Amino acid sequence: MDLELSGEDRKFRDGLREVFLGEIPEDIRRRSALNETTREDIVTTQRTLNAHGLAVPHWPTEWGGKGWTPTQSHIYASELQRNAVPQPLAFNVSMVGPIIAEFGSAEQKRQFLPATANLDIWWSQGFSEPEAGSDLASLRTTARREGDVYILNGQKTWTTLGQHGEWMFVLARTDPDAPRKQQGLSFLLMDMTSPGIERRPIKLIDGSAEVNEFFFDNVRVPAENLVGEENKGWSYAKFLLGNERNGIAQVGTAQRIFADLAAFAVDSPTETATLAEDPQFRAAMHRAKTTLLALEATQMRVTGASENGAASPVSSLLKMEGTRALQELTKLRMRAAGADGMLVPTEHALQAEEAASVAAAQYLNHRKLSIFGGSNEIQRGVIAKTILGL
Amino acid sequence: MNLEFNEDQRLLFETVDAAVGRGYQAGGRAEATDSELGWNAEVWNTLAELGLMGLAVSGDHGGVGAGSVELYATLEALGKHAAAEPLLDGVVLPSWLIAALGTEEQAKKLLPALAEGSTTIAFAHAEPGRSWGAAPTVTAAAAADGSVALSGVKSPVRQADQAGSFLVTALDGNTTRVYLVAADAPGVQRTEGRGADWSHAAQLEFSGTPATLLGTAGTDTTDILGTVFARARVAVLGEAVGLMETGLGKTVEYLKNRKQFGVPLSTFQALVHRAADLYARVELARSMALWATATVEAYDNGAEVDLGTAADDAFVFVGEAATEAAEEIVQLHGGIGMTYEAEVAHHAARLIAITESFGGLTAARRRAVGAETALSAPSALLDNAV
Repeated sequence: MDLELSGEDRKFRDGLREVFLGEIPEDIRRRSALNETTREDIVTTQRTLNAHGLAVPHWPTEWGGKGWTPTQSHIYASELQRNAVPQPLAFNVSMVGPIIAEFGSAEQKRQFLPATANLDIWWSQGFSEPEAGSDLASLRTTARREGDVYILNGQKTWTTLGQHGEWMFVLARTDPDAPRKQQGLSFLLMDMTSPGIERRPIKLIDGSAEVNEFFFDNVRVPAENLVGEENKGWSYAKFLLGNERNGIAQVGTAQRIFADLAAFAVDSPTETATLAEDPQFRAAMHRAKTTLLALEATQMRVTGASENGAASPVSSLLKMEGTRALQELTKLRMRAAGADGMLVPTEHALQAEEAASVAAAQYLNHRKLSIFGGSNEIQRGVIAKTILGL
Repeated sequence: MNLEFNEDQRLLFETVDAAVGRGYQAGGRAEATDSELGWNAEVWNTLAELGLMGLAVSGDHGGVGAGSVELYATLEALGKHAAAEPLLDGVVLPSWLIAALGTEEQAKKLLPALAEGSTTIAFAHAEPGRSWGAAPTVTAAAAADGSVALSGVKSPVRQADQAGSFLVTALDGNTTRVYLVAADAPGVQRTEGRGADWSHAAQLEFSGTPATLLGTAGTDTTDILGTVFARARVAVLGEAVGLMETGLGKTVEYLKNRKQFGVPLSTFQALVHRAADLYARVELARSMALWATATVEAYDNGAEVDLGTAADDAFVFVGEAATEAAEEIVQLHGGIGMTYEAEVAHHAARLIAITESFGGLTAARRRAVGAETALSAPSALLDNAV
């Protein structure tokens, strides 16, 4: 066993830090730590990373991938999170990019992959629907083939950052008569400036409007924008599941929040001393600390297993426990801030200025962690079925 | 960066797993603790033949001088079969104490016998009504001729009934020291009992009992005892991981096979999700135990690590997981899981006993929460701070 990075990996890590801390502006990272990242922040960051070959390291090498070892991939995810670097847009780099690279036509790859890597195209995800959440395969949006176009009708929801979206990858039903609901779905690429698309923002309880619904009324999508084969869309969407293990537990993010919270506690007076000396607070922080150690050690084991070529079906575990730990920390931050943390960001003049001051808003916002990407109840089902054989 | 066994360590685990598995069939733990010996003689001999009694003894004294990972692998394999052999309490821990405190002469006399498995030494530290970390009430009085006599009570002392001698902590003035007492020394009264895990445990009452100081009077025992206890707290987590893993496996099997309302229990989501949560806890606990084991290894290789705090952090986390595992194993089995006849009940009882070993969970948390580093951002890797 070895608790140190090899000399080579340390050099790799230091190289990443040079770019992350030297090339990504400090104010962008500060806003990211406050959960106030703007569209421009994400675009600037991803283009800077891309210029350094660091936006799409996990893609095939001919499209900008780096062919890293599992350990290097682990370090990359961890350092992005720890240094509050806005993550390359997941819809681009982790979702549609890998699918086009794996299943798309040569023309689609040429047209979309470089622009997707550089965030010249902002992708949105068109998967969830009002009647198709955890049970995604029940989706009802239809794509009817007419000559060389598909006609889309239906509704998508929970489209994160859809207000910035330029293109959307859509899962739609092309064969309503297929014997199983998973069959008959196709994966389409849709220009969001097409006529017939209406967007409505969904305001969340923390005041944010990061999610949207979309309504499609006879939207015309050229048939050449079908990815892979018609009616095989479900298998392409599933290709992503369990594909992403690095960073899924967000240990680096939690480590950063822990450090910020500890610093806040030292400067936070109580009746008799500071919050840092409060026994309840220390006990709660210690619980978080040990959980993060165990999660990081689990990440190390998963990385080690992939180095040896063994598949490790623990992404559900990492997702479930990682989000739980992060939610605990946002709760702890809210408890630490007290009444000071109860302001939500609005258009009114009174604004919170520090992380602790929007603690309640972030706590409320982070309820999403155990819901999106397969709710934690879905993850329990996956663990029970695939790992325990129940 | 690596928390995996190497090839030799994997082979060691598999060898011990196979050897212990042959001796411990279903119900083996209760059979062993019910016996006069308190464990399985055949398994003990096999472990000795494999050289495992000398894991923590240097080559100079007849052992193999293995590291923390080899000890972890061995104890996880023992835990997997809920084995009752007192390898850690009766051999490894006394070996550490003798090597760290004893004179060369004492080491030469005591360690080879431990390493060959021909004797065990019981560590008598716990006292009724006193926390593990408090100063002992057993006293050591020196006579004019230089001999030492102990007086006071120790309890519980694990596997004292089979031990050839005892290592007893006692107060000499204001200083805690460790003394060697022969099991058949005059003035020792042993009252036999059973631990919560049904392992043999006794009360030892010393009345002017002749004893020999382990080591020399000039040695400060505080740091040495602290380090030995930290090692023990990490080592026992290996056994806990083995117990949890098997307990989870048996529980999953039970959910598949047991029928109620005409269907297997595995058709009830309320139960299945509890099993999934338990799986997650066990995996995190395994990661934590491996990390702590690697931390001990780094410490032994001269790295600057805070061994005591790392051991406490891991003991708290794995101890909480062990408690939860014990509770869930029983709950998911229903009433049958509480019966003495049920194998899993012994897994649960042993897991609970582990949480109160070497000072226990509450004290470990108290130290860890009070430690200066409690609020510094965690990093499992050395030299990779946030």
